[in-house]
Amino acid sequence: MAGTEWISGARSLDWIAIGAPWLAAAGLRALRGHARAVGFVAALVSVAASALRLLAAPRGESLYEALMLLFSCLTAGATLVLPKRDCDSGTVGGILFLLGATLLAYSSENLLVFLIGWVLSTIPFIMKSWLGARSWRPAASLWLSNLVLAGAIGLIYEAGHAFSIDTLSGRSPGGMLAFGLLVTALIFRKGISPAHAWVADAAESSPPIPTALLLNGHLGALLVAKLILPLFPRTAGNLFPVLSWLAMATALYVAIRALTENSPRRLLAFLALSQSACILAGLESRTPEGITGALVHWFVVTISTMGLFGILRLLEVRFGENLTASHYLGLAAHSPRLAVFFAVFGLALVGLPGTLSFCSQDLLIHGTLMSHPVTGVVLPIATAMNAVSIFRLFARLFLGRRRTGFTHAADALPRERWALAAGVLFVVLGGLFPNLIVAQRSAEADRIGATQTPRGPLGLISTRIK
Amino acid sequence: MSLAQAALLTVVTAPGAVFIILASLWLLGWVPSERTLSRTTGLTFAVCVLGLCHLVWIFATTNVAAITLTFGNWFAVHEYRFPLVLMADRVVLPFLAMTVVLSGLIGQFSATYLHRESGFFRFFLLLHLFAFGSLLAFAAGSFDLLIGGWELVGITSVLLIAFFDQRPAPVENGLRVFGVYRACDIGLLLAVFTLHKWAGSASFAAGMPRLAGTQSTVVCLFLLLGAAGKAAQIPFSGWLPRAMEGPTPSSAIFYGAISIHAGAYLLLRAQPLLAETPAASICVIVIGAATAICGTLAGRASADAKTSLAFASLTQVGVIFGEIGFGWKSIAVAHILGHALVRTLQFLRAPSMLHDYHRMHSAIGGEVSRERTEDLLPEQVRVWLYRWAFDRGHLDTILDRWFIYPLLELSRLFSRLDSMGRFSVERRAKPSMPLRSPAEQGVE
Repeated sequence: MAGTEWISGARSLDWIAIGAPWLAAAGLRALRGHARAVGFVAALVSVAASALRLLAAPRGESLYEALMLLFSCLTAGATLVLPKRDCDSGTVGGILFLLGATLLAYSSENLLVFLIGWVLSTIPFIMKSWLGARSWRPAASLWLSNLVLAGAIGLIYEAGHAFSIDTLSGRSPGGMLAFGLLVTALIFRKGISPAHAWVADAAESSPPIPTALLLNGHLGALLVAKLILPLFPRTAGNLFPVLSWLAMATALYVAIRALTENSPRRLLAFLALSQSACILAGLESRTPEGITGALVHWFVVTISTMGLFGILRLLEVRFGENLTASHYLGLAAHSPRLAVFFAVFGLALVGLPGTLSFCSQDLLIHGTLMSHPVTGVVLPIATAMNAVSIFRLFARLFLGRRRTGFTHAADALPRERWALAAGVLFVVLGGLFPNLIVAQRSAEADRIGATQTPRGPLGLISTRIK
Repeated sequence: MSLAQAALLTVVTAPGAVFIILASLWLLGWVPSERTLSRTTGLTFAVCVLGLCHLVWIFATTNVAAITLTFGNWFAVHEYRFPLVLMADRVVLPFLAMTVVLSGLIGQFSATYLHRESGFFRFFLLLHLFAFGSLLAFAAGSFDLLIGGWELVGITSVLLIAFFDQRPAPVENGLRVFGVYRACDIGLLLAVFTLHKWAGSASFAAGMPRLAGTQSTVVCLFLLLGAAGKAAQIPFSGWLPRAMEGPTPSSAIFYGAISIHAGAYLLLRAQPLLAETPAASICVIVIGAATAICGTLAGRASADAKTSLAFASLTQVGVIFGEIGFGWKSIAVAHILGHALVRTLQFLRAPSMLHDYHRMHSAIGGEVSRERTEDLLPEQVRVWLYRWAFDRGHLDTILDRWFIYPLLELSRLFSRLDSMGRFSVERRAKPSMPLRSPAEQGVE
């Protein structure tokens, strides 16, 4: 009885967390005013519902609840950081719509609901009149990922006659074809090479803060943790190393690509992509350290890249949209606090000691090297290159001779400062006391790891998961 | 916690705590005056010196081998643990003393040297972070924790090289140094990973883990890569003269005293492993000797005071590497201490070196004899050596030509590949004009 009450209570909280932003998004379409206030309040309602859901969740089974809370907080922060110029009902409505859809995907235990969440989260970015990119590649990739996932779920239903993930768990429904389609959907959605180019295109020609939210939903990694590993443990055991190699190749490819990129938005997109490819490699590593590292890194990448994109947008609004990393702009003299926030988020992304990413990278690299002793070395190399790229971007944007044209350019406004400071506090306090987060994620890593089977012929070592 | 452990904790964490307090206050909008900053710095390092005196007293009056302070695991996942252990033994203590005393001295020197400099606060903030990083690296009881301090030293070093950011050269050089550091740190990461894999732990608080022959060699070579990067040994020596772009006090403490010797400290820590692996020991000796020769030659062809001092440092660190390779641990520690103190003084006197020379010339009634050892060599050899030394052993050229340029070319190739098929649904004018103010752009 208590179990039934808990489930129905959790469901109600889910619907509040998902429904509030959708209602607010619909309301904004009608009202067209007070977009920031409406967006912030709706996101706060989601934060509260997700927090209650997390508090009630049993230990070791709170990954999705924690992700819901993280994404809600991120959206609340985004509505605060969003510059006045971008704060129209369309953009805020798009952000809230994305929040509802992403939370739906996180909370779903049903394939059909997951598909709906997945597809809805892409709608604002497919519609050019809403938040869509000017380039064709983002829309095409998102469409393809939607269609392929729908095909895979159709096949799974055909073979398993059920949509419930629990019912289908471990049965490899749909066989190799369904598995292949799921992996293809993941490749398109996550931007794994060779389908990586859309991410930079989207970052360059879509509104950057909503795009950062889309990328930081990490629905590709969610697909792995929620569907692929539980549904296809045996197939995944045999073929997943291929995806892991692709993820590591992506991490390295985009890290090299970022070395000569001069567009700040594209460069940040490459860094975000490279670091989030590491998450996938960690999830596949089949070691407790690697999976835990990946889950912790998920949090770090999400917060850091969101912070970086947010600061970049603030700089664009203050200093013009033609920022470039080809020469020194000297913006630190005008916006010293934004410079410090940028440096902390940037270094947190690449493993600065004292930030949470130092721990996540340590676990991730350890787990991946344990699993792939030769190819695993790609991750530290990619991270080292990313560190050089982020320092180059920081130096080009913020260092150099003070510019004389700006007389009224403001540093971080109070609302921006509080939102960014909250992100910095999370990565720094998380870095100083990592065990609070690592222990939680470790328990969840065991649960994810328990679904994996020993590696087949393509794997390099047998599993260490107990 | 005993008094000795409390003293150790105070020595290591005091600069870090001051860094956090100062940074937080700045973020809240308070910028301390120069006097407040210099007094705070003085007080911080005075407290550290007191703690250090207590540690020295304990070691002088008792037979204790090491003072260890364990906080359990920083984080743990199954068998993998990140131990949070601070340790002070008779190897660590001189390094802690060197860091505390020289950082305090540099703090006092810089209060005058950087008076009214726009980056005064930034310098002191980074000085505290650097001192914390160094102390953490030296007092770490495991290689895991050592990496934390090591990375902090690296990042503060880079930020101080780029201190005078009004000119592009310091920033570019900072970026170059950062790249070399990060590349070589991969060696350290791999060493820690292999130690965990083969020995089950990277902790050395209770003695270095025992490894079989080949495993020991592999770990030592990875450690050597990390140490060579930080100590600017061949083939990574090219970054050291570039690092001289920073303010003189930071050059003194980083490249005359502490940071440059961090690599040697790493090898001293790994000495029990090195002693069992002749191959790795030979590599350490060869690299050290080659660096010493290259350093002394390049230093003689350098045109400015700080660069010649940097190469002189390099030469001595090369010799120290050789001493460690031969297993002369105590000589190496004494050499490091003596070298750090003398070189710091030389660096701090560098800005007034010409003045010093003029005074010396007036005192002795003319110029000092210009006879040099290299004059004994045949003319052709001298010219060849001069060219070689002038290009600093061609080390940067080789690194550029064989590693950096191909990597950048590869990046450009990827860029071309990515741009294939990249066209906009709506053509969008690429902004190519220089950065303008919002007022000039006509936006609110």
